[in-house]
This record gives sequence, C-alpha cells and structure tokens, in this order.
Amino acid sequence: MTHRISRRTVLAGGAALLSYAAFAPRAFSQEARLRLLWWGSQTRADRTNKVSELFKKANPGVDINGEFLGWSDYWPRLATQVAGGNAPDVIQMDYRYIVEYARRGALAPLDSYLGSVLKVEDFDEVQIKGGSVDGKLYGISLGANSTAMMVNTVAFEEAGVDLPTPSTTWEELARMGVEITKAGKRKGYYGLSDGSGVEPLLENWLRQRGKALFTADGKIAYDANDGAEWFAMWQKMREDKACVPADIQALDQFNIETSPLSLGNAATSYAHSNQLVGYQAINKDKIVLKSHALISKDAKGGHYRKPSMFFSVSAKSSDPELGAKYVNFFVKDPEAAKILGVERGVPESASVREALAPSLDELGRAALDYVSGLGALAGDLPPPPPSGAGEAELALRSVAEQVAFGQLDAKQGGETLVNEVTQILSRG
Amino acid sequence: MATVQDSAVAIGGGAQARPAAQGRWASLWAKHGAGYMFLLPWLIGFFGLTLGPAIASFYLSFTSFDLIRSPEWVGTANYVRIATADPKFAAAMQVTFLYVVLSVPFKLTFALLVALLLDRGVKGLTFYRALFYLPSLLGGSVAIAVLWRQLFAGDGLINSLLAQFGIEGPSWISHPNYSIWTLVVLSVWQFGSPMIIFLAGLRQIPTDMYEAASLDGASKFRQFYKITLPLLTPVIFFNAVVQTIDAFKAFTPAFIISGGTGGPINSTLFYTLYLYQEAFGNFRMGYASALAWILVLIIGLFTAFSFLTSRYWVHYDD
Repeated sequence: MTHRISRRTVLAGGAALLSYAAFAPRAFSQEARLRLLWWGSQTRADRTNKVSELFKKANPGVDINGEFLGWSDYWPRLATQVAGGNAPDVIQMDYRYIVEYARRGALAPLDSYLGSVLKVEDFDEVQIKGGSVDGKLYGISLGANSTAMMVNTVAFEEAGVDLPTPSTTWEELARMGVEITKAGKRKGYYGLSDGSGVEPLLENWLRQRGKALFTADGKIAYDANDGAEWFAMWQKMREDKACVPADIQALDQFNIETSPLSLGNAATSYAHSNQLVGYQAINKDKIVLKSHALISKDAKGGHYRKPSMFFSVSAKSSDPELGAKYVNFFVKDPEAAKILGVERGVPESASVREALAPSLDELGRAALDYVSGLGALAGDLPPPPPSGAGEAELALRSVAEQVAFGQLDAKQGGETLVNEVTQILSRG
Repeated sequence: MATVQDSAVAIGGGAQARPAAQGRWASLWAKHGAGYMFLLPWLIGFFGLTLGPAIASFYLSFTSFDLIRSPEWVGTANYVRIATADPKFAAAMQVTFLYVVLSVPFKLTFALLVALLLDRGVKGLTFYRALFYLPSLLGGSVAIAVLWRQLFAGDGLINSLLAQFGIEGPSWISHPNYSIWTLVVLSVWQFGSPMIIFLAGLRQIPTDMYEAASLDGASKFRQFYKITLPLLTPVIFFNAVVQTIDAFKAFTPAFIISGGTGGPINSTLFYTLYLYQEAFGNFRMGYASALAWILVLIIGLFTAFSFLTSRYWVHYDD
C-alpha cells in the first residue's frame, strides 16, 4: 500500500494541527505570575493597575495579571473560577461573602504570614477581626468605610433647603424631601431616593432600634412589626412625594451609575462612604456625605465602621506567599497608598493614614473625615452576615418593590419579608 | 511444545488476520478520515462543551453542590422542592410562558407581514432583506439591551415621543405591569430570521396557482387564505418550533434590563435567569441543574406536542 501525500491529506493534517493549537494549553512562562480579580469602577481599576506596576518594579520577575468586573457580574465569575479550580491568586472579597468562601475552603488562611510577610500590627484590632472566620484570618481589610447618604448639594441649594445634619431625624428628612420635590426646580425631580429596599439603610434603622439584620448564629434579628413600620415610613414618603415613585426607583440596579441621584431623579442616594469618589466622578453637582437620619432626636446612631472590602488569597494559589506579599504591599506601601487614596475606604494602617493625609485631595479628605468623624453615631461591628445573606438582600428589594407598587400593604410587607428571610437563612 | 506451536499458529493466524483488519481500517480512514479530521474541532466542542456538561448536569441535579465543595448526593430532593416548595419557580414559569405566548405569535405575524410585502417585488430587495435582518444579528447583544433601557426608561425616547401627544408614560422598563412588554417588543423587533425563511417559502409557491385562481376570480385575500397560507404551513411550523424553543431559552435581554435581578417584583424573571441566579448567585448548582432539566423536559414536551398536532394543520406538498 503506497501512501501518497495528496492535497487532501495535507489539508486534513493542517486542520488537525489548527484544532490542536486552539485547545493546547498556553506555554507556561518562567516568571512568577499573580492573578488578581476585583470588582469596581474604571477609577478603581486605574489605581489598582498602577499599584501592580509599582509592585512589579519592586519585585523583578513577577508578572501580574489583573481583571475587574462590576459588582453583580463579579460574584458569578468568581464562583465559576473557583469551581473550575482556576481561582485568581488574589481575590477581592466582601464582608458579605467571606464566611461563605472561607467555610467552603476556597481561601487560604493567612495567619502563618502575620509578622513576616504581612505587617499589619498597626491595624485596628476590630478590622482585623472582621477578616477572620472561625478564628482564622482569611482577609486583609483594604480600608474602612461606613454607610452614608450621598447628597446633591446644588439641588438642596436650588430648592432653598438646608443640608441634613448628624442630628436630622427621618421626619425632618422626609420634610426636606417634600420641599425639594415641591420646589420643582428640575424636571421629574424628587427630594429623596426610595431607600426601602436598601439593606444597609434598613440595618442602620434597625440598629437605632436596638436590633440588627442577623444574629451572631445566623438567624433573622428583627420581626414583622419592625418590617411593617419600615415599609409604612417609606409608604408615607412616597405618598407625600418626599421620595421618587416606584417605577423610577426600580431603575436602580444598586450601583453608582443607575442610582436616582446619578440619573438625575433625586437629590439623595444611600451608599458607602468610599463610593463618594465614584459618585463625584459621574455627577457634575457637588456631592457630600451625610450620616443617615435618626429615628428620634435622642436616638443613638446606627452606623459602624466596617472593612469596606478585603484581599484574600486563594487556597489553590501556587504561591500564596507571593499573594500575601502583594496584599501587604497594597495596604502598607506609602507610594501605593498615595495612588489608592481612600477609594477603597480609609486605610487601616495608622502609619499609612499619616503618610496619606497630606496628599489627599478634597474628596479623599471628605471621605476620611466622614468615617473618622462619626463619633457617637458609630457602634460595634456586627458579626459577618450568614450564608444566604446575598439572597436575603434580594428578598428585601423584591418585597420593598411589592409594597411600593401597591401589591402589598406595609403590614403584609413586613410579614412577607420576615417569612422569606427566615426561609432563606434556614436553607443556608 | 504443543502449546508453543499452538500459540505460533495463533500468532500466525493473527498475522494473517491483521493485514486484513489494517486494510479495512486504512481504507475506512482513506475514505472518511479527512472528513472526520475536518469535523474534529466540532466533535471536540460537542463532546467536551455540550454533551459532557449535559451529562454532568444530569448527575448534579441529584446532588447538593455549592460549586466549591464536592457534590453531595441528595436523591430527588431538588426535584421535589421544585415541584412543591418553590414559589420563585412558579413565578419564573409564569413569566416565561407569558413571554413565549406573547412574543412568538407577534414575531411570526410581523415577520410574515414583512415577508409578504417584500415578496411583491420591491426594488432593492437584497438591501431591504439585509436591513431587516440586521436587528436579528444585534438583538441578542448586551449593547441592544442597554439601548432598550434608555429607550423605555422614564425619561427615555419613547416617553419623549408620547409627551408630544400629551401622554405622560411611566418608566416602562421598570414597572412590573409593562416591563415584560418591553422584552416582547425587543423580541418582535428581531423578526429577521423568520422573515428570511418565510420569504424563501413564499418564493417556492408556484405562480401558476395564483394565475389560475385569478382567472377563477378569487380575490387577493382569498388567494392568500386558500393558497399562500396552506402552502406556507411547513415553513410556519418550522418557524414556530424554532422561535418557541428560542423564547424559552431567552436570557440576555432580561438579565441586562433587570440588572440580573429579574425585577421589578420578578416581572422579568425568565426561567433561565432564575436558573442562573440559583447557580451562580446563591451557590446552588445542583438545584440549578435540576431546574435546567425541567426546562429541557418542558421544551421537549412542547416540541413533541407541536409535531403531534402538526399533521392536522401542516400541509406537505406531495
């Protein structure tokens, strides 16, 4: 049998080669490689990439590959990569999910690097604890923040309404909202965003009543009456036109870009203090941070300082020590701190804060002052949210919408919310 | 010795058999090898990326799997929960059926109307055909879903137009009563591919039938009703099945338009979106796999039903 090499054979071989090339693994480089994954805006990405460049310069032979996504796309991506055994080495982690990921064994405990690679001795004790799960350290806080009300100062001014103060009550805030709406200086403009579906805002309100979202053992920590009163308060504000109507609020996808404040529908929005930088970047009017309203004049505030986000190291990382080294550089290097500013929250290290202070711009200054100036309004850090907390947040949003669109009254809303959250938490 | 000889014979026999087998394989290879080589990328894709994961998901549907720890066998618990204790499953079903029932007939009717218009011999037919097909190419994309948000928002283009007539529209896209309609409109707008198929079908109807009908004095409407429609039924059937399956599987528009929540109040919670939320948002890949197989079952039943009833209304010209 003679084997002639025909044109067809060559073509077939070529096709096979091509398909092999497409599926063959990429050649490994000799350099140490670190993969990073984080969520956030373009502003954050620019700053993060600059720090990575700095780290590469200080550590020749290290290659860093960073990737970022928006908050809601981030978690599915991370879950898939972790499931596929392809997790990034350094993972940006949130207080809400750290228990979930740590308990499932996806994160590397960092305790053995403390003092050697990780030099976080001058961190606030509480904030270090915030990154611990079951007594082990799984995340290094990238900064402290607190929830805050973003306020469009120009809209308040146009309507001739004074800005809220730390002692403003919800009743007073509602009246401000009505006045701004009534002033009618802008088309389709209302005083307040509708915060009934915003979980951190509900938490703040609950804490003022001596309650919380979740107990330390992962159960619901408020009852149907609390829920009913919460929804009733917002129902009244909607009726009085203190806040935006339901169909405007429903455009909010809980990010900076789609909030009623940024869309030009309301003069306030409810977010986290470190997001001031992002809010101001896309809003022409001057935005300031204000603490949340009080349930009564003599109420204690419901704020707390929390780690805005962590860097964790993957349990599957081929070089966890290098990951830890990068994290340490990120939170301790003075040059890195200058690049990062307070965009991820106020730095936890006292020495870094000092080094940073003179170089902060006005926005950074404002965010820092807000967090450090909360004083008596801020209480203890609550325990990390249990598994299912993410789902519970969506449930709040959905029930709040059902009340806002009139499918449920406030009382039914309170009952439905407590039922759904209880069920979600028991399912885990 | 005997054994040695036996085995020698056996080897000898084998040696005789082998060239024959080799020859068979070689000739098979020579005949089909190149074809399979060309198919290889597709075959790898099919087995590695479609069939393999499908089988894996069938297994996972009987487990509790959080994506990180190993799956745990739970028997039929996922299916039992879907059938008895999941209000969100019911909500997602309702939204999805509503979407299918609304979008498919509207889309097909619209596509047929445009095809009929183009079939009358428009100048620059190729141009129009390409133009009308364009939305089908773009429609599934994120950019269009984002555009849709802009169009149908409270201060969007649609409401600006309505304002000209003194109508103050709601924010269509974020109102539970209307949001599904914006998705239906988005689907109808992508009428391109059924239209092309209709157009091809119309072209195949022999013109002498119309001529004969005209001579007999049949009106245009009667001609459409008695000739066009019956002869087009195979194409209508094909389009209906394909579009129905597509509609059941729709994901991107609802995902982008609701920001992944399926809101407001689950009004855009497509089945696939709920499945995605369970798998990647709530770390319940086992449960999501069970949901996926229920969807396969539903689509299968729908398609089987279409084929069974087709012999009563689809006319094949033979």
